[in-house]
Amino acid sequence: MTTLLEVKNVSKQFGKDTKALSNVTFSVKEGEFVSVIGPSGAGKSTLLRCINRMVDASSGEIIFDDAYVHQLNKKELKKVRTKIGMIFQHYNLVNRLSVIENTLHGRLGYKSTLAGALGLYSEDEKLQAARILQILGLEEQIYKRSDQLSGGQKQRVGIARALIQDPKLLLCDEPIASLDPNSSKIIMDHLRNICTSMGITVVVNLHQVDVALKYSDRIIGVNSGKVVFDGTAKSITSNDIHQIYGSDEGKLIFDLGGSHVS
Amino acid sequence: MQAEGPIKTFSLQTDKFLDNQLRERLSKKPFSKSSIAIRTCGLLLIFLTIYAFISFDYKDVNFIDALLLTLDNLGKMFFEPHLKHFSFSHALFQVLVTLGLAFLTTIFGAIIALLLGLLAAENISSKPLSVVIKGTVALIRAVPTVLWVLIFAVAAGLGSVAAVIGMTFHSISYLVKAYSESFEELDKGAIEALQASGANWWQIVFQAVIPSSITYMVSWTFLRFEINFAVAVAMGAAAGAGGIGFDMFMASGFYFDLREIGAITYFILIVAICLEIFATRIKKKLKVLS
Ligand SMILES: Nc1ncnc2c1ncn2[C@@H]1O[C@H](COP(=O)(O)OP(=O)(O)OP(=O)(O)O)[C@@H](O)[C@H]1O
Ligand SMILES: [Mg+2]
Repeated sequence: MTTLLEVKNVSKQFGKDTKALSNVTFSVKEGEFVSVIGPSGAGKSTLLRCINRMVDASSGEIIFDDAYVHQLNKKELKKVRTKIGMIFQHYNLVNRLSVIENTLHGRLGYKSTLAGALGLYSEDEKLQAARILQILGLEEQIYKRSDQLSGGQKQRVGIARALIQDPKLLLCDEPIASLDPNSSKIIMDHLRNICTSMGITVVVNLHQVDVALKYSDRIIGVNSGKVVFDGTAKSITSNDIHQIYGSDEGKLIFDLGGSHVS
Repeated sequence: MQAEGPIKTFSLQTDKFLDNQLRERLSKKPFSKSSIAIRTCGLLLIFLTIYAFISFDYKDVNFIDALLLTLDNLGKMFFEPHLKHFSFSHALFQVLVTLGLAFLTTIFGAIIALLLGLLAAENISSKPLSVVIKGTVALIRAVPTVLWVLIFAVAAGLGSVAAVIGMTFHSISYLVKAYSESFEELDKGAIEALQASGANWWQIVFQAVIPSSITYMVSWTFLRFEINFAVAVAMGAAAGAGGIGFDMFMASGFYFDLREIGAITYFILIVAICLEIFATRIKKKLKVLS
């Protein structure tokens, strides 16, 4: 399998003394499902945002699909971003617009300024949006306004918006942190399915260790801006997890046994 | 939280002794700085009002007579309105001219304010640009519309051109503030999501920012239209901008015809009420959609 994403010695400094990331290095292969776990403030969101340069890294290299992301100019960056879908904890939809309009927003990066601004989408694009929404179980809601949806449904619209970009990589920043267990499972199942059957690489920030272990091929543990664990979900030990969270033995709620799937 | 002894049980019986204790506590409302300030201000205002009325130079005006005469004048204005110096159709046409002035300046103002408002909204523009625009606009707003018209009259001469420019100027400053604040209501997340998918600034503005704030924009624009209508009436009188305001000026300052003033006031009132009804309808429609 080829390497899709390489993060080399990436550091990020906020202001004078907040070092969010220091010398982070890892790589992700095509079609992999990677979870990033770590305590609050460890730098998980910052790490994810450095990849598509929503945050500019202070130093280091990011290579995505043979493009040197850190060196790109504005226009090239926009082009690379169309190949990276992003999913957020708070869904980040435009509430007043309908489900399909929000989904089609994923196409803006491919369109001319004028066509995009006026919302002129082709029949193909609309059909594609409807197809994706159907796969995600939202076909009934196509013309509903997004603020009338439940959290789980909103997140699925978020996924649809990312998928219609035809991305190679999905970045998900705590996609299930605001959802109940049931909707969380639906979202995670969809993400896993997207990875397995569509071959799209997924990198997801998670707070739930058990979920991370259950769904991921690989786990990256981050603490205080450093990668402290990088290995398969199967090989992780409870000791590793305690190290990632910097906590004492036996103080965390999680269950290693029987949670592996695939 | 610290525990403060055992938890008291609720009893439905009232306890006289306890109630009195609590009453005493309630009466000991602490004096805050702001309540002192408010009371002092109130007293001061009452004192000034009384002093002013005592110290007025009333000359030979008898208060009762003056009051009766005023009422008589008002009665003439509103109960015996007539049109002598111009016809009904003339008045109607002049009202339309005034409405036109209000409409034109609001539309010009809205278009320019839309652009500037986008640049003044911190979440879609840059901080320095936003500060500069907001500051300039606040300065412009601080000067009343009438003064702007008079300022532009220096270059354009007193008349409709100065009125249009001056009123547009003030409308821009008003609407830039209103628009940019409604743009800033939009949460950062939606903008970020579109940025992350490779959308550019114009696309984000038209696909996320404006759809999210369109109801606010319409209400603010309409409010400004109503303001501009009132200003346009005044401009007809003060700056010779034409319209019903000029007729009013003629009726009062030239013909001294109270009854005609009454008739014109009714005209303006009816238009204002129509505008109000129209505005409420539009807002209701937008609410249904939102
Ligand atoms: N825009 C910013 N400006 C200044 N400091 C920031 C900014 N964003 C993040 N930080 C800091 O960087 C560090 C890492 O933050 P980050 O949001 O990446 O953590 P996280 O692992 O995602 O935490 P959480 O699990 O709570 O989301 C924190 O100390 C945070 O205060
Ligand atoms: Mg985070």
